[in-house]
Amino acid sequence: MSPNPTPEVDLGVEVAGLRLASPLIAASGTFGYGDEYQGVADYGAIGAISAKGLYLEPRPGCPPPRIWETPSGMLNAIGLQEVGIRRFLKEKLPKIRDLGPTLIANICGSSLEEYGELARILDDAEGVAGIEVNISCPNVAEGGIEFGRDPDMAARAVAVVRRGTRLPVIPKLSPSAGDLPQVTRRVEEAGADAISLINTIPAMAIDAETRRPRLANIIGGLSGPAIRPIAVRMVWQVARATRLPVIGMGGITGAADVVEFLLAGATAVQIGTMNFVDPGIWKRTRNDLIAYCRRHQVLAVRELTGALALPGSGA
Amino acid sequence: MENGIGREDVAARLVERQRLSEDAQLLRFRTLGDGTASGLPGQFAMVRVAGGGLLRRPYSLADVTSKREFALLVKEVGVGTRALMTLPIGGETSNLTPLGTAFRPPGSDRTAVIVAGGVGIAPFVLYCRRLMESGRSAIVLLGGRRHRDLYLMDAFERFGMDVRVATEDGSRGTPGFVTALVDDALADAGAPELLSCGPTGMLRAVARLASAAGLSHQVSIERRMGCGMGCCLGCVVWAETRAGGPAEYLRSCTEGPVFDADRIVWDRDPHPL
Repeated sequence: MSPNPTPEVDLGVEVAGLRLASPLIAASGTFGYGDEYQGVADYGAIGAISAKGLYLEPRPGCPPPRIWETPSGMLNAIGLQEVGIRRFLKEKLPKIRDLGPTLIANICGSSLEEYGELARILDDAEGVAGIEVNISCPNVAEGGIEFGRDPDMAARAVAVVRRGTRLPVIPKLSPSAGDLPQVTRRVEEAGADAISLINTIPAMAIDAETRRPRLANIIGGLSGPAIRPIAVRMVWQVARATRLPVIGMGGITGAADVVEFLLAGATAVQIGTMNFVDPGIWKRTRNDLIAYCRRHQVLAVRELTGALALPGSGA
Repeated sequence: MENGIGREDVAARLVERQRLSEDAQLLRFRTLGDGTASGLPGQFAMVRVAGGGLLRRPYSLADVTSKREFALLVKEVGVGTRALMTLPIGGETSNLTPLGTAFRPPGSDRTAVIVAGGVGIAPFVLYCRRLMESGRSAIVLLGGRRHRDLYLMDAFERFGMDVRVATEDGSRGTPGFVTALVDDALADAGAPELLSCGPTGMLRAVARLASAAGLSHQVSIERRMGCGMGCCLGCVVWAETRAGGPAEYLRSCTEGPVFDADRIVWDRDPHPL
């Protein structure tokens, strides 16, 4: 009989050199600049926040309509409406660096130079622990997905960020890349410290009555539970192609989904769309994850990473 | 109340359904546990209900009658509203509330002239209840396509408001658009302040009248919302951040839904009338 029938479950993970108290990370673009959910979400259950994507200058974003609900998911074409790096540092960062969760800045450039400049500016920003490099936004005309589709471009974007900062560099990959394992190997060579995926899947919906697209931008990015099996498959493929830690995301609704991503090879996960639906998801998922670990005699959540039981493996 | 303060995820149970027409209902809820019903006129709730789609849907707080009871006016437009309208008595919802900006009460020497179209009357039930409680009245102009689209007229009359109506098919009140009633109402009010909520075309027409007369005009603008918390950026309105300043996309969930109408840049609004 165990001397300690309910041992503390260690939820801590280390990803890209960042020690996170919980493997649950708020996905960029779904948690604002970090303080918006105060009083509603349990920040103690959140390991890190990836803040809204930043360019050097403010951007107005796409005209509305910008969102549309789809079966088990949503389409969005926000077009990275954001305040620009300077206002972020001056107005947003001071409000979020003391909230508890580790802060990851998310950057997007319309050129390699812009990625590099953003990295240099963030390098000595107090309170920023890492940089997620958005090379996968489907809704901006320049930059974004254009960098992420092509292994050479992806590697060049990561290399220029790497040169600009000592902070951990985490490229966020696009599900639209033709050969994700190849992109992964190239960004690893270019100096990435971790990989995050997937960004939204380019998608479209049309109003049959009016014959108009549901979004002003016509094409948007699909997120939510609808994309989860695709995301799990991609995390599995990417995790096998790299020694870097992987941050998995795509339609996570609770602890069982988190475990799915961890087993596929992720070290941490991000929660995005479902935070809109249920801001209580952080506390519930953290508690359910602890319960799962106890039920499976898992002492530390990091034991689950890549622990997929394959047919014939005897597991 | 300061914007964003006191909001919480409140569980509630449907306790009363009032059918207003074949496709509109007033639903009264009682909060569960230690959840409180609160909020100012114009603020809204993001409601999650089983079978109502993935995302929450925004509804104006139509009434707050005690610390435990609030009401929503629901008109059927899709899967979210349908789920609420078929929710059995006793059925539960999850409500992020109260969210967004509120209508200011009229200045002490002013009379509110309210212009509402269809389901746009929702925030004004609570607004007029609060006016009545402070012993004040308002002129309430209600418009709809047909007689049946004029909801809750009796409630406004019970609150002692001066209710005037227009229907597009002429089945009740003045035939035509409700905006045709505004000039007379402004004259009768003496020192008026305008408030409006309803279809974009109506809001824009009222904004023109208010602007021409140099009157204060608060407008509630609802857009399709994903989160209600200012994070998805789905619900934006092209508006000036300060009078005469540059315009940008403001969030109707956070900087709104109630805006000073002179900040809205109507011609850039891509939504159909």
